[in-house]
Order: sequence, then structure tokens, then C-alpha cells
Amino acid sequence: MTAKITSLGAGLMERTGRMSSARKYALLFILGLFVLSLVQLIAGTKQLTAPGTWGAALRLTVPIMLAALGGLYSERSGVINIGLEGMMIAGTWFGAWAGWQYGPWAGIAFGLIGGALFGLIHAIATVTFAVDQIVSGVAINILAAGSMRFLSSALYTADTGGGATQSPRIQGFIGTFNVPLVSEWLGALSDRGWFFISDVAGIGAGMTTRVSWFTLLALVLIPATWWLLWRTVWGLRLRSAGENPWAAESLGVPVLRMKYWGVVISGALAGMGGSYLVVVQAGIYREGMTAGRGFIGLGAMIFGNYSPFGLLAGSGIFGYSDALRLRQDSVHAILLLLAIGLMMFGTYSLFKRNYQGSATQGVFAMLFFIWWFTTDDVPGQIVTATPYIVTLLVLTIASQRLRFPAADGVKYRRGEAH
Amino acid sequence: MNERQRVVELVDITKTFPGVLANDNAHLSVGLAEIHAVVGENGAGKSTLVKILYGMQTPDSGTVRVKGKDVHFRSPKDAIRSGIGMVHQHFMLADNLTVLENIILGAEPTRGIALDLRGARDKILSLCDQYGMKLDPDVLVEELSIGERQRIEIMKVLYRGATILILDEPTAVLVPQEVDDLFVSLRELQAEGVTIIFISHKLDEVLTISDAITVMRAGRTVASVKPGDITARDLAELMVGSDLPTPDTTVSTVTDVVELRIVGLTSLHTDGRVAIEDITFDIHRGEIVGIAGVEGNGQPQLVDTILGVRDAVAGALHLAGKDISGFDTKMRRDEGIGIIPEDRHRQGLLLDSPLWENAMLGHQSKKPFARGIWVDRTGARDITREIVERFDVRTPGVDVNAVALSGGNQQKLIVGKELILDPSVLIAAHPTRGIDVGAQAAVWEELRQARREGMAILLISADLEELIGLSDTLLVLFDGRIVAKLDPADVTPKTLGSHMTGVAVEEEAL
Repeated sequence: MTAKITSLGAGLMERTGRMSSARKYALLFILGLFVLSLVQLIAGTKQLTAPGTWGAALRLTVPIMLAALGGLYSERSGVINIGLEGMMIAGTWFGAWAGWQYGPWAGIAFGLIGGALFGLIHAIATVTFAVDQIVSGVAINILAAGSMRFLSSALYTADTGGGATQSPRIQGFIGTFNVPLVSEWLGALSDRGWFFISDVAGIGAGMTTRVSWFTLLALVLIPATWWLLWRTVWGLRLRSAGENPWAAESLGVPVLRMKYWGVVISGALAGMGGSYLVVVQAGIYREGMTAGRGFIGLGAMIFGNYSPFGLLAGSGIFGYSDALRLRQDSVHAILLLLAIGLMMFGTYSLFKRNYQGSATQGVFAMLFFIWWFTTDDVPGQIVTATPYIVTLLVLTIASQRLRFPAADGVKYRRGEAH
Repeated sequence: MNERQRVVELVDITKTFPGVLANDNAHLSVGLAEIHAVVGENGAGKSTLVKILYGMQTPDSGTVRVKGKDVHFRSPKDAIRSGIGMVHQHFMLADNLTVLENIILGAEPTRGIALDLRGARDKILSLCDQYGMKLDPDVLVEELSIGERQRIEIMKVLYRGATILILDEPTAVLVPQEVDDLFVSLRELQAEGVTIIFISHKLDEVLTISDAITVMRAGRTVASVKPGDITARDLAELMVGSDLPTPDTTVSTVTDVVELRIVGLTSLHTDGRVAIEDITFDIHRGEIVGIAGVEGNGQPQLVDTILGVRDAVAGALHLAGKDISGFDTKMRRDEGIGIIPEDRHRQGLLLDSPLWENAMLGHQSKKPFARGIWVDRTGARDITREIVERFDVRTPGVDVNAVALSGGNQQKLIVGKELILDPSVLIAAHPTRGIDVGAQAAVWEELRQARREGMAILLISADLEELIGLSDTLLVLFDGRIVAKLDPADVTPKTLGSHMTGVAVEEEAL
């Protein structure tokens, strides 16, 4: 929920590609934390800011974020990538196979290659042959699911522990680290039970304790992507291909090659997200283990307005709600959180003179509040659905600010410039 | 005038596209530091010829010589390396990138592996100084006006060190004052030794600015002349190959019956900014009211608000005395409002559908296109055939797809399908944009005919001659408001231009 608030600024950040007004978003972030504390106090739970919740949230965020980041490269180069899910599936399978054969780091590398392979197929179809990008993406998803099943039958059934729908367990695991001093210090502070301070410390402790090296690697990709896309020649050219390929071509930019780069990197990152599921979370490949995270990543990217920091916030919301789902007793408080969050958005909309949006959000806020007040329990499905609810509601105000790449989804052929 | 050194020579260029002979042994010879105009009608092959010079197209046969050397450009990159730069008619800019990013794209300075943004900014600002241009490198292009965008385009070319500059109809989108500014800049560039190839079909401008003129017709070079040796009339005749049609004022048919009354109409952009404000005017039966204005001053918003596509936040519409403010778009059309949309490809036609389906658009629930909830295919085909015949749409039949027709014939179909059911009010937004002279004359004649028969017409156009020639009343839209009501009989493009740029308003304020 806090991430939701910070992501409002993603649009601005994206426009200029500059990390400006960082202070404003830091303030919003703190405000979000405060609301979280408050909700927790009212609802009488500890789980919303518990280190365990936030540690899990971080682990659940990373694969979604990697998929979203993959989507970013592709869509910024002007190719819609609905095949992220398929590329991620390829990542899980290849990651598991190499992890089983050579260990976890090889798993990451092969997951990346597997995803990139399917990215390449998408690129050949959409860029070279100008196939409809949605059609190709859907085909990639089907193709990936089917061919991984085939590979599993071929390679996993003969050995112990594997089968047509799952791999043998991978060898070893990727190490974790605690941020020295900070982790213990915040952990101690979070046990004090002080309002707000202990809550913030709990969140900090969760995100600094037993962090996988893979997680760190993934998180570094966010600022790295920003730098690559907004501060290098390559990045400018990639973005120009997605904004106005005809202009780019007229200036000698190899538009088709940039699109290839975008889509293949997209596949590689989605594949890396898949390998994270295998290497860090499950230790094994299971059919269907991506569970739509590729699509969710696409949603997180759109939510984040096609910017790296925005999509981090978007993925964070999904990851956090997913983490809450695993912690049964805090589930009820989420209704109150939704109510208060919506109320704040409603006020913001009112301020922006978006009366219709404001009214909608106000009504939903009231409904969630009544629901929270009159019940003691909610079905687990609601928590699972929270990210989707949040996304839908946020899009009711954010959609007007969304700025997708102007030539995203356009079938581009060389020499068709007007 | 002594012969200048030839820097660009195109000899016997032939280029065919599927079904079209775009260039047929065309020639072009341009001297050093010359402003060389290439004139011709739409579709005469001017654009193809310069695209070949710029490496965007490869010729089927013929020779391209630059600075005396034979060249074979395979992409614009090769052309740029030879010092050739092109400013396209439709600006080649990415709206969501900054001015600086647009300028450096393709020729980016680097420091290590990162972009050298500071170096680029310094270079752009010093070029701005040198040529007296004003540009802010750090704003997004989407926030800029047309004139500023054109300056970015020119700067893009200069930034690459071009000495041969191709301008594709640079004045088509500018108002007279901006044209003057552009010409001053071109003279400065010429003084610095830059060769300029200038495509246009505005003959008075061509005669003003150029040192030499190449005339093209149907893909061929029909003449190479000096501006001093020829009059605009003769040039036009060379271009068209026959007499030039002009919009002229005929006897007034304006009645005193108000057909459409617009009172205080106001609407907003989606972000809350005012799009049009307090628009009030009447259109009488048999009257053409022309709306003049630089693009981006609320013309499409005005059209959309009258049609009900966009909600009005204030104001009222009365059609033949009946308040239609609360009506939705379909009801308004059923009451008798017709529309020739601004962008025929985006708003006017389904390119991949047959003509008879296109003719149905906007009439989809009316006879003879429909019978109850069913499409009346026979009725629709019959009436489309009638449109094709009456409005001289050149097509093999009504079952061909709209995409197969030329721009002029597509436009005649749109005009025809709107007029065939006799609306009482017609909104014509840029009715002759991008179509050839023959089709233009036909559309003008249809509008005049409709006016004679008592239709009330709202004409929105960027072509000032069209506006002045057809309109009975001229309104100037600036910044979403009507700033002047002029009589077309005694207005010159110059005075109109000063209203359109807001200069007149500022002068009055002083």
C-alpha cells in the first residue's frame, strides 16, 4: 500500500527520466508507512509491518519485478510483450534443469538464456515478419507451456525425483546475507512495540535480514535500467524506436535491431524472474509455478507508467499483498487498509477535480470500511485478489496520466516513413 | 546570374511503387548555396525524388551525384554522412523525448559509455546563437508549437553539420509571420554557404525565396526556370498542365434564417485546461462560416463539441430553433448535422472495408442503409453507386476497399456520403487537405452547390485562400476563443495572419 502512494510520482520521473522531486516521494512514502502503522494499531495486529511479512514480500516482489522490467525493455522499444508469461515459464524450466545439473548460479544463467530464446522467437515474428504482437505473444505463452511439458517428459521422467510435471531438486542454493549491524539493530527495535518507530524498524529488518544475493542482483537492475535507458546512446535509441520509429529511421537509427534488443532482453529478464522462482523460492521446477506472474508483471509495469522505479512500486504492491495472504491472521486488517487507502485517493482525486473518480473511490472506501467494521473474518480469496483490486482502482485515477510509448504495438516496416 | 557549382545532380531517376510510377526519368540539378524550389501538385513525385536523394528510397534506375561524385545511398545515414539533411513535412519528432534527445538522436555525443548531455546542450545553444534561433533543449517536444518543432527539425540537420538542406513543404503548417521568420533563417543559412532544396506548391512563396525552380508533373521534370523569368500564373500552368482553379466569391446566398446558433460554448481538455471558451456565433441558411486559426487553437475541440463527441461544460446549441444541447452525437446527426472529418484515415474511413460500408458510417441506422436493425446491403450498395456517380468518385465499383482509392477520391466519397442525405448543417474540417487540385476543385464546387441550396456550412481550414474564397463570414480562433470576425471580401492573408498568431490582440491591448 505504501508503494502504491510512491508510485504516483512515477509518471513525472518517467517524463524527464530524471530522479527529480525525490524528496516529495520520500515524504509520501513516510506518510504511507504512518497509515500502515495506524491501521495496524486500530486493527490490533502486528503482521502488517512484521519483519517476516516484509521479508516474504521482498522475495515475492522480485520475480514480478523482473518480468515487469522485461516488459519495460520490450514496450519501450515499441513491441507489446504479452508473451512474458511464456518466457518466464521457459526461465523456470531452464533454470531448474541447469540448477539440477550444475547448481543455482548456472540455473540463473540458463533461465536467462531460456527466456531470451523465446524473446528471440517473439522478435523474429513481430519485428521481422510484422506478425500482430498480441497474437505472437499469446502463441509464445502456449508454445512455452507446451514445449516445457515436452522437455520435462523427455528429460525428467527417467531420473529420480522428476516427472512429467516437475524436475528433480536443484543442487545447493544461493546464499543469503544480513546487512551488518543494521539488520540486528532494526530487529531489536522492532521488538519494542513502539508505535510507528518499531513498525518502520520491522519493515527495515524484514528487508535487510536473510536477503538472497540474487535479490540484491535483481534490485540493482532497477537503477541500472534507468541509467541504461535514459543516460546512454543505446537507451535513447531504444526509446526512440518505441516513440517514433519513422523519425528514428530517418536519423539512421537501426530501428529493427533496437527492437530485437528490446524484445530479447525482455525475454532474458522474464526468464531470470522464472529462474528466481526455482532457485530462490521452490528449489524445484513445477509445472504452472509461474501462476500468471508474467501477466502480473505486465500489469505492474503499466501501473508504474513504463518507468523502472514505477514498476518497482507496482511489483511491490503485488508482492506485499501476496505476502499478507500467507499470513492468515492479518488478513482482516487489509480491508481497513484498502478503505483508508481509497479514502486518500478519493481526496486526491477531489483535489484534482476528478469528481467521478473521487466519488467512485469514496463509495468503495465506504464499502470496505463497512465490511471491515461488521465482520471479523474475510475469505482468503479477497487477499489474493487485493493486488488486482488495487490496480483496478488506482488505474481509475492513474489512467489519465499514463504515457505509453507512442508507437507501442505498431507494426513497423522499414521504409514506410511518410 | 553566373552558373553556380553543381552540388546535387539527379539524372534520369525512375522509381516505381506497386501500381504507381512515382518518378519517370526525373531530373534535378542544384547549385552551391542556392535556394532551389521543387514545385508540383500532390502526387507529382517531388517527395519521392528528394527521398531518393536522402537515401530513404532507392531509385530503380538513374544516377545521384553529390558534389560531383556518384553516390549510392542505401539509408539516410549515408546521406547524412555526405552532408545532406532533411526536414520532413510531417515532423519526424518523438513527442515524449526532450528537444535535446530529439536533436542528438542518431548522432549522439558520448563521454565514456554515457551520453554527453552537457556537451550536447552547449553545442545546441551555440548553434542557436549562430543562427538566431530560440530553443529550450530540456522541454518535451509535445509541449511545443508547430513553429518551434520546425526549428528543432532544422536544428537536427544543422547539428549533424549538413551543408545541403532539404525542406519538404516547410510552410504548409506555418502562418504568414512564421513563414517570414523561416525565410529570414533560410537567407542566413544561405549566407553561411548552405544549399537549400525547398519543396512547395505555394507559388508566391517559391517566387519570393528561391534562386531556381524545378517544376514536376506526373513524375517527370517538366521545366527548370529562374524566378525572374516567369510569373506565378505561368508556373501554375506548368505545374497543373491546364488552367488553375481558384476559389472565388460568388453571389451571396446568405438568408436571414439562423440554422445553427451556438451560444457560449465551452469545453475542457481531459486534464482540465480550457479547450474552447465562450464560443458564440450563428450560421444562417445558405451561409459558409469559415474558422481560421493556427492548428492547436481548439479547432478539433470545437468540432467535437458541436457534434457532441466532447461534452460541453457550458453553452447551448440550437438547430433550427430547437435546443439540441442535451442530445448525444447520434441524435445530433439524426437532426441533420453532417461532418467531413479532419483526418479522413483516422476518423472518416474504414480503409479495409468496401466503399458501401464506408458510405454507411454515420448513417448506419437510416434508410436506405438499414432496414430496422438489419443492414440493407442492396439499398446501401445502390445509394453508394449513386454517390460514386454524382460525386465523380473514380473507382472500379462499390465493393472495392477504401484503401484502394486515391486521397482525392476517398475525400469525394466522404463528401458525397455526407451530402447525399441532405443535412441542414455541414461541418467541413480541412475538406481539401492533401488531395490533388482536381479533387479540390470538385469539393469546392460541391460546397458551393450545397450553399446555394440553403445548407449552413462551417468550414475549418488551414488553407487561407480556401477560407477566404469560400466563406461568407470569417471567424478567427485563437487560444480556444473567437478573437475576430472578419469580412472575407476585404481581408488579406497578412491581416488574417496577425489575428491568428494573436499579434493583433496584443497590439490592441497596448
